[in-house]
Amino acid sequence: MEEYREEELILPADPMVLNMGPSHPAMHGTVRCLLRLDGEQVVDCDVQIGFLHRGFEKECEAGTWTQVFPYTDRLNYASPLLNNIGYALAVEKLLGITVPPRCQYVRVILGEVARICDHCVCNAAMAMELGAFTVFLYLVKAREWLFEVLEEVTGARVTHCFCRIGGLRHDLPEGFGERLRAALQKTLAAVEDSEKLLLRNRIFLDRTMEVGAISAERALAYGWTGPCLRSTGVAYDVRKVHPYLAYDELDFDVPVGSRGDNYDRFVVRLEEIRQSARIIDQALRRLPDGPIAVPDDLGVVLPDKIQTYTTIERTIQHFKIVTEGIQVPPGEVYSYTEAANGELGFYIVSTGGGRPHKCRVRPPCFANLQALPELVRGRLLPDIIPTFGSINMIGGECDR
Amino acid sequence: MRKLTIDGREIEVAEGTTVLAAARALGVEIPHFCWHPELSVAANCRMCLVEVEKQPKLQPACQLEVADGMVVHTDTPRVREARRAVIEYLLLHHPVDCPICDQAGECKLQDYYMLYDRRASRLWSEEGKVRKRKRVIFGPHVIYDAERCVLCTRCVRFCREIVRDPVLIEVHRGDHSEIAVAPGRTLDHAYSLMTAHVCPVGALTSRDFRFQCRVWFLVSTPTICPGCATGCNAFLDHYRGEAFRLRPRDNPALNRCWLCDDGVLAYHLHNDHRLTVPEVGRGDDARRAAWDEALAEAAARLRKVPKSQRAAVLSAEHSCEENWALATFAREALGVERFFETGRAAGAADDLLRHADKNPNRAGVREMLGAEPEPFERLVEEATAGSLRAAVALGAAAPVPGAGLQRLEALVSIAPRRGPLPDAAQVRLPSPSFAEAAGTYVNARGQAQPFPRAMPPRGEALEVPDLLARLARRLDSTVPFRSAADVRAAVGPRLPQPQPATEGGAP
Repeated sequence: MEEYREEELILPADPMVLNMGPSHPAMHGTVRCLLRLDGEQVVDCDVQIGFLHRGFEKECEAGTWTQVFPYTDRLNYASPLLNNIGYALAVEKLLGITVPPRCQYVRVILGEVARICDHCVCNAAMAMELGAFTVFLYLVKAREWLFEVLEEVTGARVTHCFCRIGGLRHDLPEGFGERLRAALQKTLAAVEDSEKLLLRNRIFLDRTMEVGAISAERALAYGWTGPCLRSTGVAYDVRKVHPYLAYDELDFDVPVGSRGDNYDRFVVRLEEIRQSARIIDQALRRLPDGPIAVPDDLGVVLPDKIQTYTTIERTIQHFKIVTEGIQVPPGEVYSYTEAANGELGFYIVSTGGGRPHKCRVRPPCFANLQALPELVRGRLLPDIIPTFGSINMIGGECDR
Repeated sequence: MRKLTIDGREIEVAEGTTVLAAARALGVEIPHFCWHPELSVAANCRMCLVEVEKQPKLQPACQLEVADGMVVHTDTPRVREARRAVIEYLLLHHPVDCPICDQAGECKLQDYYMLYDRRASRLWSEEGKVRKRKRVIFGPHVIYDAERCVLCTRCVRFCREIVRDPVLIEVHRGDHSEIAVAPGRTLDHAYSLMTAHVCPVGALTSRDFRFQCRVWFLVSTPTICPGCATGCNAFLDHYRGEAFRLRPRDNPALNRCWLCDDGVLAYHLHNDHRLTVPEVGRGDDARRAAWDEALAEAAARLRKVPKSQRAAVLSAEHSCEENWALATFAREALGVERFFETGRAAGAADDLLRHADKNPNRAGVREMLGAEPEPFERLVEEATAGSLRAAVALGAAAPVPGAGLQRLEALVSIAPRRGPLPDAAQVRLPSPSFAEAAGTYVNARGQAQPFPRAMPPRGEALEVPDLLARLARRLDSTVPFRSAADVRAAVGPRLPQPQPATEGGAP
């Protein structure tokens, strides 16, 4: 065996520059961390984004208002329905219309299912990257049960494109409530099993507690929202503070952490899954009857198919909405909702006519991600993995 | 002058102005089917009803003359309900035709339904609809669908008042009313496509445009009609490199809001018989060539003939820019002293729009050459006699058959499409159509009218200045331009001052 002299094995004193990503397996979402390392210690971290930039906002200007929906599916693709709803609410705000109660409740139900899916997959990935592969399998399987329910409603597992301006594509299928409750029951059991595997696990606790911590003050300064902000103790939830849809009629708690570390972010998400299940349970019980979209006479939704095929009035309406788009009056609005990662904002401008003049997105994880250097500075290289995972950066949303 | 108030805003207009015109001057749009700025008032559609204070019934704005102190409201619940009712009645017997109707997308019925009605049908069965004639051939260019007709009589008034050929009439009464061609006639006057243009709905449609393209795909570029020396202002409607129609563009001083049938169909000059690649050889020996080879062949043939026996043929079909480029090239690179002119043969004229000279830029050729070109007939004579042996010719058309051109030892044709001149040439160089290069036409009245490029040249066609600059290099000579931009800069000062043309279509 070759002989080494001892001084050769001493780690160099000069900081080493290391590229983590963009194709590092733990950098899910294609992002690059340009690290400056002193041995294993992170001296500095420069987060470089934009690898998934697809010109989403510019592309919106080329289609009709309705044709933006498929793009929103591809923002945070872990919870597309929440993006659908956020965009629909923005355009409805500009149009000055409110969707009927049944539509509001269905949007709440589907949105909360999407939130559970998002939190499941975020926690699953974070656990897996810390070696807890079983938890990953449990939670991703749980998401799959929910995907089956969503697929039955929307026709797609992920890219649902189910919302419409002024309503939803169609009503819920027969027996939806029972199947959703069954799937949720299994999901909550899986969440509980995961919890049992992790929250008393020495390795998991060592890797997450006090790691990636941030104060409430710093988090607010960075513009943090969502579970990440709540993990620091700030009970800011758009659903509570600025209620939309039917959220003010539903009873739920806003779980908060105290230390703002990886552990708190993980636990807040777990607890939010339970709160979402609570919301869904109440909403299913109270689900009102009635139309799933605004009346045809507003000229916003595609009219009834039978009438479209047999009467000239609805043929014209269908024709105009498809070829020219919904006519949105000139103006601009900022509309914001609580998406899985936090405050998802749409700032839209209309100059009148069937196409958006501007559609700007405020992606929650963009603000959250910019604190990553502060979270990992001075920590060990492996701490980046759970910290990055708990921030839940989603490339589609962050880069757009 | 009369002072009145419309929707709370005061305006002073001349005596005799209608409320509708006064409202338009204020920017208040009052919906209408039958009213047209160039036609007499019919006031039959009732879409323009407005509320006038101290008058118990709603009044048609298109007919009502303004009076001092008149207070008009165009957007009250009564007015809205009246408009809604008008649309409901008009749609009562309307067929479910939008998916197969060419007008869909630019149809006033569709627009007004979305703006003023948006209610569901109250007709409980389709059986209740009155059936009428469909697909009635009115003339060579126009087809009629009586079920779609709203009987606004714009077409009847257009034929009677503008063309002064009252070929269209209204027949029958009540819900059986429809438009018909006068017995023993067909709608075959020179402006028949304008009846389809003034039709606010899909009742009269162009047979040429029928089922060719959905209108919302069309891109409109302002242009000048290349059909004759009048130089009517128009829009070229095109999609993916294919042209579909010319549409009148308002110019009150020139064509008002009309085009003749030949003008609407002049877009065929862009689509049909195009020359898209350089070619060498004639008749059966013709073959496709690369640009290098075609230019080398052209240069070699031109060199063999002494300067005194070379000529250049300018084209009244082509823009000032292209003609100036050719004239300059011919003088400086070829030493040519003889300039001829080609173009399409003369045709029918009238006192409305059509000019006997079927070329858009004959006056422009003279401005660019600074002299009167020699007639095409003399070129044919001299070529036959052998006193001229080489020519560079712009344009595809020839006013007279020119068998003698075959005797030229070198005929280099620069043309956007096939025709007598390129067919007689040994070298054919493809150039852009009127839609593919910006340019200027000078019309018979001496007005210079610039027009932009609608789309890039088709195939391998090169802009004429570019092409000539390359040919000049092959002849080891130079010309004082390299690109279309250089030519535009040089041509600009030589043009009569351009007349500003107004934008926008007929209401």
